[in-house]
Amino acid sequence: MKVSAFRQYRALLRKDIVMELRTKEMVTSMGLYAMLVLIIYYVALSQAGQAFDVTRIAAGLLLLVVVFTSMLGLNRSLVHEQDQGQLEALLLAPVDRPIIFFAKATTNLLFLAIVEVIIVPFFLIFFVSGAVVPTGSTVAVSQSGPAWMTALALLIGSIGIAGVGTLLATMSVNTKGRDFILAVLFIPVMFPLLLVIVSALSAVLTGDAGYAQTFWKMCAIGAGYDAIMIAVAFALYEFILGV
Amino acid sequence: MSERTAAAIQVTDLVRSFGARKALDGLSFQLPAGAFLSIFGPNGAGKTTLLRILATLTAPSKGTAQVFGYDVVKDSVELRRRIGIISHNPLLYPDLSAAENLAFFADLYCLENPQARIDELLSAVELKHRRYDLVRTFSRGMTQRLSIARALLPEPDVLFLDEPYSGLDPHASDILDGLIRSVRDRYTFVMVSHDLDKGLELASDVLILARGKKVLYQQTADLDREAFRTLYRETVGLGVS
Repeated sequence: MKVSAFRQYRALLRKDIVMELRTKEMVTSMGLYAMLVLIIYYVALSQAGQAFDVTRIAAGLLLLVVVFTSMLGLNRSLVHEQDQGQLEALLLAPVDRPIIFFAKATTNLLFLAIVEVIIVPFFLIFFVSGAVVPTGSTVAVSQSGPAWMTALALLIGSIGIAGVGTLLATMSVNTKGRDFILAVLFIPVMFPLLLVIVSALSAVLTGDAGYAQTFWKMCAIGAGYDAIMIAVAFALYEFILGV
Repeated sequence: MSERTAAAIQVTDLVRSFGARKALDGLSFQLPAGAFLSIFGPNGAGKTTLLRILATLTAPSKGTAQVFGYDVVKDSVELRRRIGIISHNPLLYPDLSAAENLAFFADLYCLENPQARIDELLSAVELKHRRYDLVRTFSRGMTQRLSIARALLPEPDVLFLDEPYSGLDPHASDILDGLIRSVRDRYTFVMVSHDLDKGLELASDVLILARGKKVLYQQTADLDREAFRTLYRETVGLGVS
C-alpha cells in the first residue's frame, strides 16, 4: 500500500462535506446566527441619529459577526468527531496529523466562506449601501472601495480564523467548558489579525483618501500573520492531539 | 498449544503516569504471533491504558512497547497500518452509509482496489443488503458488525478488542462471537474484558492486571481455571490504587 497524503486529505474533506450536505448542521446554524446578529445590529443602530455615520464602524461590525459566527462553527467542527469516538478512528489510521489539520482547516474555511457569501451582501445592503439604513443614520456610499477588496480582506481574515481556530478548537474539544475555553484562547491569539483586517476593511468601506495604500499594507501584514500562525499550528498539531 | 512463534507484542518495563498516579507500573510481557491475549482486572487496573499504548493512542511515560517489531512511539505511523481496533464505541460516522464509512477508511489506509475489499467485508458481516443505508439507522449489533468490517479493512496483523461485547444483546453477541472465531486463526488478538467466561473461552494467553502491575501472565493451556477464577476474584477485590 503506497500512502498518498493527497488521497487522505481528499477523503477527509469529502467526508466533512458529504456529512454537512446531509445534516446541514454547521452552515445552517452559522448562517442563521449571523443573520440574527445583523438584525440585532439593525435594531441597535436604529436610533443612532442623523449625525452618526455607520460606515465608520461598519468594518468592526462586519468582523464581529464573522468572528462570532466562526467560533460557533469551530466548536461544532470537532464535536461531531467525538459522538462515537470517530476522532480516535482517525488517529488510529496511518495519517500524518498535519493532514488532519489541513483537512479540518479547509472545511472550516469553506463553511465560513459560504456563510460570508450569504451574509456580507446583506450586511452591505443594510449598513453600507444605504438601501435599508436604520432611521436617521447617514451613509457615505459613493466613497466605498471596490467589493473585491472587501472580499480579499475577508478571505485573509477567514484563512487565519480557520487555521488558528482549528488548532484551538482541537485543544478545547476535550475540555469541560469548550465553548468558553475556545473564546478565551481565540480572541487573544487572533487579536493582531483582527486589528489588521478591521483596518483593511475600514479603509475599503469608508473609501477615505489613500485607502488603497492602507488596504494593501494591512493585507500584507494579515497574510504574513496567517502564514506564520498556520505554520505554527501545523507544527503543533501532533503535539496538541497528544499522539 | 502448538509451537510458539516470534513475539507479536513485546512490552518491557512499561510505565504510564497520569499526574502522581501510575496507570501502568513496570509492566513486561511477550505475546507470540497468532495468540489471543485476554486482559482482565478491576476498573482502573490499567487495561485500557495498555491497549491504548499498544494502539499508539497514548504514549508511555517510560519503558518500551513493540508490535511486530514496530515501536509504538517511534514507528507509530507505520504501525497503524498493521493494527485494527474494535471498541464498545463503533468509531463510525452515523451520517455516512455503511459503504461510505468503509470507503472513507479505505482511502485513509490508501487501499488498492478498495471496492472489492468493501464488498468482501460487507458480505462477511452480512450487511451487503444495507450498504447504502446510513449507520444511524442501524441497530447496535449491526453497527458493531460494521465496526468489525472497519477494523479488518486494512488486513491488520493485530486486532485490539476493547470490551467489544459491551451493550450487545445475546443475539448480537453470538454474531460477534462467530465473526471473531471465523478470523481467529488469521490475526493476533488482544482483548480487554470484564467477562471472564468469554475472555477465557477465546484466549490462548491471559493477563491479570491490578494497580497497573502484572498479577498473572499465563497460557490457558497450562491454566487451572478454578485457581484462576479465585485469583481473579481476589484481584478484583484489590480495586483501584
